[in-house]
Amino acid sequence: MPPFDPLYTAIVIVCLIGGVLGLCAFLTLAERKISAWIQDRVGPNRVGPGGLLQPMADGGKFFLKEEVIPDHVDKIFYLLAPAVAVGTALLTLAVVPFGSTVPAPEPASSLAAYEQSQAEYQSHFSFVVNPGLDIGVLYLFAIGSLAVYGVVLAGWSANNKYSLLGSLRASAQIISYEIPLGMSVLGVFLICGSLNPEKIVAWQTDNGPYWLILFQPLALLLFMTSSYAEANRLPFDLPEAEQELVGGYHTEYSALKLGLMLLSEYVHLIAGSFMLSVMFLGGWSLFGLETISDDPIVAAVIKLVILCGKMFALCIFAQLIRWTIPRFRFDQLMNIAWKVLLPLALLNLICVMVVKQLGAPLLVLTVTSAVLVVGAGLFSVWTAGSVTNPKRKVVKLPAGIPAGVTYAS
Amino acid sequence: MPTVYVNDKPVEIGTKKLNCIQAAELAGVFVPSYCWHEALTVVASCRMCLVEVGDLKDGKLAMQPRVLPGCQTPVKDGTVIVTGEYDKRDASLPALPYDPGYVKGGAPGVRAKKSQADTLEGLLINHPLDCPVCDKAGECKLQDFSFKYGRSESRMVDVKNTPANKPQLSSKITLFTDRCIMCTRCVRFTREISGTAELMVHGRGHHEEIDTFPGKPLENKLAGNVVDLCPVGALGSKDFLYKQRVWYLKESDGVCSRCSTGCSIHVDSNKDIVYRLRARTNPEAQGFFMCDEGRYGYHFANSTERFLRPVAKVDGALKPAAWNVITPQLKQAFAKAVSDNAKLVVGVLSPFLTVEEAFLFATYFKGLSADVRLAIGPVPVVGQDDKYPKDVKGNAVEPTKFVIHAEKCPNRRGVEAVLKHFQGSVISFDKVAKDSVSAMWFAGGYPDKVAVEANMGMDWKTPGLLIAQDLFASTVTAAATFILPATTSFEKDGTFVNHAGLAQTFARSVKPPTEIRTELQLAFDMLGRRGLVQAAAIRAELAKAIPFFAGLGATKLAANGVRFELPTV
Amino acid sequence: MPIPETDVQWVETARLGFWEQLYIPSMLAGLKTTIGHIFSPQVKTEQYPEQEPKMPANYRGVHRLNRDHNDRVKCVACYMCATACPAHCIDIVAAPAPADWKDREKYPETFVIDELRCIYCGMCEEACPVDAIELTTLYDLTGLSREEMIFDKEKLLSVFDQTTKAGTDPVRTRAGRLGAASDTAPG
Repeated sequence: MPPFDPLYTAIVIVCLIGGVLGLCAFLTLAERKISAWIQDRVGPNRVGPGGLLQPMADGGKFFLKEEVIPDHVDKIFYLLAPAVAVGTALLTLAVVPFGSTVPAPEPASSLAAYEQSQAEYQSHFSFVVNPGLDIGVLYLFAIGSLAVYGVVLAGWSANNKYSLLGSLRASAQIISYEIPLGMSVLGVFLICGSLNPEKIVAWQTDNGPYWLILFQPLALLLFMTSSYAEANRLPFDLPEAEQELVGGYHTEYSALKLGLMLLSEYVHLIAGSFMLSVMFLGGWSLFGLETISDDPIVAAVIKLVILCGKMFALCIFAQLIRWTIPRFRFDQLMNIAWKVLLPLALLNLICVMVVKQLGAPLLVLTVTSAVLVVGAGLFSVWTAGSVTNPKRKVVKLPAGIPAGVTYAS
Repeated sequence: MPTVYVNDKPVEIGTKKLNCIQAAELAGVFVPSYCWHEALTVVASCRMCLVEVGDLKDGKLAMQPRVLPGCQTPVKDGTVIVTGEYDKRDASLPALPYDPGYVKGGAPGVRAKKSQADTLEGLLINHPLDCPVCDKAGECKLQDFSFKYGRSESRMVDVKNTPANKPQLSSKITLFTDRCIMCTRCVRFTREISGTAELMVHGRGHHEEIDTFPGKPLENKLAGNVVDLCPVGALGSKDFLYKQRVWYLKESDGVCSRCSTGCSIHVDSNKDIVYRLRARTNPEAQGFFMCDEGRYGYHFANSTERFLRPVAKVDGALKPAAWNVITPQLKQAFAKAVSDNAKLVVGVLSPFLTVEEAFLFATYFKGLSADVRLAIGPVPVVGQDDKYPKDVKGNAVEPTKFVIHAEKCPNRRGVEAVLKHFQGSVISFDKVAKDSVSAMWFAGGYPDKVAVEANMGMDWKTPGLLIAQDLFASTVTAAATFILPATTSFEKDGTFVNHAGLAQTFARSVKPPTEIRTELQLAFDMLGRRGLVQAAAIRAELAKAIPFFAGLGATKLAANGVRFELPTV
Repeated sequence: MPIPETDVQWVETARLGFWEQLYIPSMLAGLKTTIGHIFSPQVKTEQYPEQEPKMPANYRGVHRLNRDHNDRVKCVACYMCATACPAHCIDIVAAPAPADWKDREKYPETFVIDELRCIYCGMCEEACPVDAIELTTLYDLTGLSREEMIFDKEKLLSVFDQTTKAGTDPVRTRAGRLGAASDTAPG
């Protein structure tokens, strides 16, 4: 693949967006089916065999519903918000490798060697829209943090207290979780020596099957948690908590605009799952399965299927988590970000730095991760949980004051 | 001062001649009764008012060994009354020195309580307990007292008496014989108040029944009162029968508009429809009762033939018009007629208007020009004053207990007083009817067209501009350029002055039909005043302007038509 | 009304142990439950249009007006149901009973229930002194217009005929005449 070919790029973009949007549609079906199974229900089963065509019906409904634009909204931002939300979500996909990749060659000592490696590189096809972007993950974080604009604009322009509360919650939540999200993967970058996702995959495949989950299990956990929070997935769906905020920031949206809002969350989930599989689960490698065919096309397809399979499994896992863990309270949410995830990520990073500096074997990091988790648990037991859940003084009311009235003390 | 002790509470009775029930009422203790009625003689037949009675003399208390009917037992200084509610007495009062021998047979109050419960059980032996289909249910004394003083179960095992109903009792009244508890209030009413004595008791013991004499149904002009008097559902008004359950009805106080007696009434309505009128006790006005003419004379208010919206004659045809269109037209047309020649303009104020309405209209007419003449509308008079009680030959007997007046309008005195104030004399309608006038405003409100047309005569000359405000079509409205709908006395606030000069205010009972504006509102609009129309405010203005009505202003009135009376005006 | 201090129980937050503080094991236990349900489903859903549900006898569906042994309407137009109705959906016009109905004085000339306004609370059935109004197990009440859903006396009686003939709702009571509430049920 040449460094930049508009045609190839256009084809890849179309395929990627088409694929992701289709996947989103079926993720909604999966979400509904899985929740139904978990709750001993049947789930959608009326459209198509076993409800398989339900996403079509849902999508059709989004198109056909009345487009209501309430009188009291700020029209420009109201219309802009879904575009921003879904646009930023889709832009993150630009650097996500969704199949086999070959990292761009390092500068070589001689020009001839460099040209040869360059030619070799260009003979491969990389399953990524923008191959060889060295700031890859950084770009992802940059664009991903723009997603908060969609939410904030939606909540602000709707001129509705529920929307505003939802968007305020979202902005606080997304900004807070950006930090552990970025901090947790710093160790990965130190180990691999690159921000480029293709190189991270290459590091994991080239040196034998050393998936980074092996060396950075804690980082994986932190990253996964933070990415759920970024995507507003349960248990972190406070911005759209129905019981409290009607619909949260998209209360005033209807029809296709609501569809776009919901779509952007799924795209975030998909992008996050892709990054998880790329950075911690070895990308397109799967215990040698990717090497069973010598035919380059078949091999590429196998790698594509493996990576997408990993991504899909992570999406399903997110849905299982959704029905397992109840929603956090907002103070708990903040406590987790600032008092648990952030210190653990920092300590993890220090461990990586020390290990790299001393040149110790990477397996030490596995041990330190375990030690950090257990240590955190022990620390919590020692402090009786008072760090994340500070004891508040219970003031008994003087007689005669009705129950339910409390003092702030 | 003579003092009576009710449940240990001393009450001074002054010089009044009271029985135990009344004395207990003075002390705030309620003694239940069925047969006793203040206006009727005492028979003590229901035994519901049984109380323990004693005599306190020189610090010694001698209680009667048995319970006595309270209605039949007069009280004097030192009488001690113990009712069934003795255990609910004010415990802070010192107990009277009850004789230990008396207390041994039961603490004070126990005898009375047991007697009341036993009485109720006896009354209910033959009562059919068909409360769900009984019109009285909800305001039935038998229900109320059974609930309060009776027992919850019946011990009656035998088959109850089921005498046949007597719908033939009267054209207006039906008798559910099995529900009767033989209090004989109705019998005494026909004998003592109406004097016509149609009702009697026949049979003995459990087979006693109320009935009429053969061939003499209960047909007199006061007969409807027996339905009010009946403490149970035995006597039912055919007019109200099965129309509404009483708990749906909204009771409000009103004044009857069908004759110049001006009876105080309860207006029972539901969803802005009047369903029933009942007499309201008012010793100043009429006493305890009302006549059937008034009682059943509310149907005109619910009539479908009423004018329901303003109508204007355009090119010879009558066309409905909206108030906001017609009001400026009226104002302009009438003002023009006055400016052309005020002497030929007449304002007619009917004796069915309230004092406030008459005052505002007169203010409007005289405000246009002092030359505008004000006349009182036709005053319907039918026959002679009808006095009760009567003897068998139909002649009135002294002392008179109830009068149905011949003058079938409620407020002639009041409107005349207003007219006298504005132009010094009262011009009667037949005088202006013969004149040729250029414009006439006829503020009517007559409940039927007969009342309008009766003394109009044949020589009625149609004015050039006739603004007629009335309830029903008549000769007057037929000639009108503008026909405005009027309101009934149930639909407005105001004051009526009766034949004796008693001014009674009343508040609105029901809302007028949607498109009808009250006369007061119309006069208000005509005067170009702004703000809410409040009868009380106009009444205060009236009291200030006309010395005759000064008494109306002297009494402090609540904002929303709390009823008040003036004994003389 | 304030809750008296004696009724208030002060509960301390449970102290979490080491495993709970680790959070991960508890989460895994939760996942085990949820995933367990996926693989051993206990689905009790009825596939409604294909599978007709069997309603319990005390299901509160469409009303009916019962007939007595002479096929006359049992109702005596006492308005108890209309009074008890919290939704004000019952409208009755009472009239003196036809002359040949010797056993009662009052009957409903019209009896109208607005089935759309009704909240199916069953208070009318409880209030009825002669067990004339009952709620049946008919649950699939539909109509194409609001007028169609306003049931008059004939329609309500036809519901009685329909449900008794189909056997879904046998007449539950035999009371037919008025009496004191404390009377033993007649018949």
